[in-house]
Amino acid sequence: MVAIGAAIGGLIGHLWWGIAGALAVELTRQLVNLHQFDHWLRNRNRRDPPDAGGLWGDLVSQVSRLHRRKQFHKQRILRLFRELRRSTASMPDGVVALNPLREIVWFNRKAGELLGLRRKTDFGLQIGSLVRVPEFARYLEKGDFSAGLRVHPRIGEAFCIEFQGVPYGEGQMFLLVRDVTRQAHLETMRKDFVANASHELRSPLTVIAGYLETLALDEDLPADLRPPLLEMRRQAERMTAIIADLLELSRLEATDEQVVGNPIDVAALLALLRKDAVVRDAGQHVVDMRVESPEGLMGDPGLIHSAFSNLLDNAIKYTPAGGAITLRWWTDEQGGHFAVTDTGPGISEEHLPRLTERFYRVDAGRARDAGGSGLGLAIVRHVLQRHGGTLKVESIEGRGSTFSCHFPPLRLVHEPVALPDDTRYSA
Amino acid sequence: METSDLSQHISRRFNEDLERVRAQVLSMGGFVEQQLAKAVSALVEGDSLLGETVARDDFEVNKMEVSIDEECSRILATRAPAASDLRLIVAIIKAITDLERMGDECEKIGYIASRLALEERPADKYREVKHLGRVVQSMVHDSLDAFARMDPEAALRVARQDRLVDEEYEAIQRQSITFMMEDPRAIRRVIDVMWVVRALERIGDHAKNICEYVVFMVHGKDIRHVRIEDVERELKQRGTQA
Repeated sequence: MVAIGAAIGGLIGHLWWGIAGALAVELTRQLVNLHQFDHWLRNRNRRDPPDAGGLWGDLVSQVSRLHRRKQFHKQRILRLFRELRRSTASMPDGVVALNPLREIVWFNRKAGELLGLRRKTDFGLQIGSLVRVPEFARYLEKGDFSAGLRVHPRIGEAFCIEFQGVPYGEGQMFLLVRDVTRQAHLETMRKDFVANASHELRSPLTVIAGYLETLALDEDLPADLRPPLLEMRRQAERMTAIIADLLELSRLEATDEQVVGNPIDVAALLALLRKDAVVRDAGQHVVDMRVESPEGLMGDPGLIHSAFSNLLDNAIKYTPAGGAITLRWWTDEQGGHFAVTDTGPGISEEHLPRLTERFYRVDAGRARDAGGSGLGLAIVRHVLQRHGGTLKVESIEGRGSTFSCHFPPLRLVHEPVALPDDTRYSA
Repeated sequence: METSDLSQHISRRFNEDLERVRAQVLSMGGFVEQQLAKAVSALVEGDSLLGETVARDDFEVNKMEVSIDEECSRILATRAPAASDLRLIVAIIKAITDLERMGDECEKIGYIASRLALEERPADKYREVKHLGRVVQSMVHDSLDAFARMDPEAALRVARQDRLVDEEYEAIQRQSITFMMEDPRAIRRVIDVMWVVRALERIGDHAKNICEYVVFMVHGKDIRHVRIEDVERELKQRGTQA
């Protein structure tokens, strides 16, 4: 170009003017190309790439190749994302994604329905601000997501939802939300059935037991009928005891709520238990009592009485005559502890984990002789659960067993308990 | 239209303080909601134990109020918030008072419910009370939702419902008078029920107050003692001007 300009310039006698003119033309051409390129870059989605030769053409084709590749990836990711959103939206369970501050990052349609969340406006809000059930706040705070949490968001209605936290990454978590109204209903029905059946069985049994008693008192009864009649009476009594325990158990199971209760003077309770036991036992065992702390316990007096007396009854039942039984109450930083130690035959290790199951028996024959219902330890476990406590069993075969109840420190009452009327404990 | 954007602060700690106290208010609200639901359920189902539980648990609400109040004073003293943050704190201080009062009314209902549970239940099984209870419950729930979302439109919608509660209250009152005239032996029970209805109506008023604080918080406008229609018109005008 410059050479052509120089030639023309030389021809007409002005060499430098010719070169300058050629440079100007070339510059204009480059500027036009640059402008076209810029224009195309700005509107590259709508316009075709400009037709330019040489270096500009190369540049244009490279950029447009890059652009096409980017578009392709973007489309693919977008499609994947839409697919993901559609699939989670059609999931039967609700999912809420939370960041470490427990703010809502994202949720699917079902979660919105179940929790009353709204798209867009609710992103970034703390989940606890919108799901305000107190149990839920406690569940999140506790940080133990090994189990789910069931709540009735509207009290007095059957509607029941279950939350399950699934932590991932650094503090983020998924919250699964399920409508478990049906399952909850079925469970209630099952529990109600046990309670109702026990209740219905009680009245006919009372009649049978009553007539058996009258018959046994009859002087004219043939001697050979007397032993079977006595056996029938014993069995009727056992049935009554089983039904009473079943009813108590179903009452306990009706709710998982923690008992608040009243202050209990444990020392007085143990003294009362011991007195009752000694009278019933007619002096076959030595019952010792060691109260090592004046502190009381916060709980339901009836339930605690029932749990402690179940443990004591068991010890008496399974310890051969002449054995010793010790009741002990002590407190430390871990809380309050109540233990019943006996010098009975002990329980071998394989039975320990299953001991609190209903109707579980270590030695089927003997337990029935002793007249137990097989529900005692299940009751103890439930009572403790509702007081935030645990049951521990230690046993050495042939040497004896220790059943201990452990209550958290929050349950202790530090000031000496003003003794409420004694009738409370004689449940 | 200005909204309280909590993410703008340079001091992250300040943000966290504000967010925490807001979350505390809402969890207190959640507890009050539960108390209310339990109290109404105790009356309608005749569950004396549940009623006693509600009356006993009121101390939790009081405890929360005191602790949030302290937190707010601390923020005012140490951070000296301005503009929308100041309005947030002021709104919170007011809202917790209302929530605490709601708690007191629930305590009253729970107490009366446990007493009424021992008496014969009326033929209508407290249907009207149940219905009013449901309306008030949804008002409390929606007002707290509006508070959480800082949503003045939703708040105004809830505030409008208060009129419905007042009408219902009026109707139950008239019905109760009829009951008392028909059967003077029922007077004691009906008076108790009227106390409950009155408490529910008061809870509705407190929920309305909370809605007013939401509008105050977002728009900086005090809408107490102003007709809701006027408020709506004005806010709409502002919206078009902005």
